[in-house]
Amino acid sequence: MDKNATLDAKGLMCPMPIVGLAKKAKEMKSGQVLELLADDVGAKEDVPAWCNRTGHQLIGTEEEGKILKFYIRIK
Amino acid sequence: MTDKLSMVVCEGTYDKAMMPLILGTTAASMGSEVNVFYTFFGTKLLKKGVKPKLPGLWRLMTGMMVGRMKKVGIPDYDGMMNQAMELGVNFYACSTTMGLMGIKEEDLRPGVKVLGAAAFLKMAQESNVSLFIG
Repeated sequence: MDKNATLDAKGLMCPMPIVGLAKKAKEMKSGQVLELLADDVGAKEDVPAWCNRTGHQLIGTEEEGKILKFYIRIK
Repeated sequence: MTDKLSMVVCEGTYDKAMMPLILGTTAASMGSEVNVFYTFFGTKLLKKGVKPKLPGLWRLMTGMMVGRMKKVGIPDYDGMMNQAMELGVNFYACSTTMGLMGIKEEDLRPGVKVLGAAAFLKMAQESNVSLFIG
């Protein structure tokens, strides 16, 4: 998937991937796509919940083994 | 309207210290306003340079726990506190406890405000989520 930036949160556990997401999203422009890589199983539900509350749009997810990939369009 | 989370912390051990910081940084990251009120033994967590320990005999394992958390990217208490403040989490010390325990305003970490119960309850009443960390 096309992306403008990647945030590698592999090895980090809750809440650090979400805290990282919030910081990264602030640096990005509206409409850009952020790729998040995570391996905390909590992220599966946490990232959609974060998107729901912040208004950023989750446009895709992929799983490669234990690695979860999330694609988020910045609002 | 912005979401608002209020929490009360009444104990000063490492677990009770970290819980509101983990939830608080998460909520702030989700766009919530976060207000944390510290009372009784929780209040000492707001003093400068404090290093909380796990409760009871577990206190001996504190270093190991802090080390394990660091490995998964979670900072130590001081780092987590800075992270929370950077994200805009508000910290309040109970004015009565400060008097009872002889804690002075200059003992507190910069940025912490002193508050009474009524002022905190007003914040809690205006919140959509209120949690008691006990």
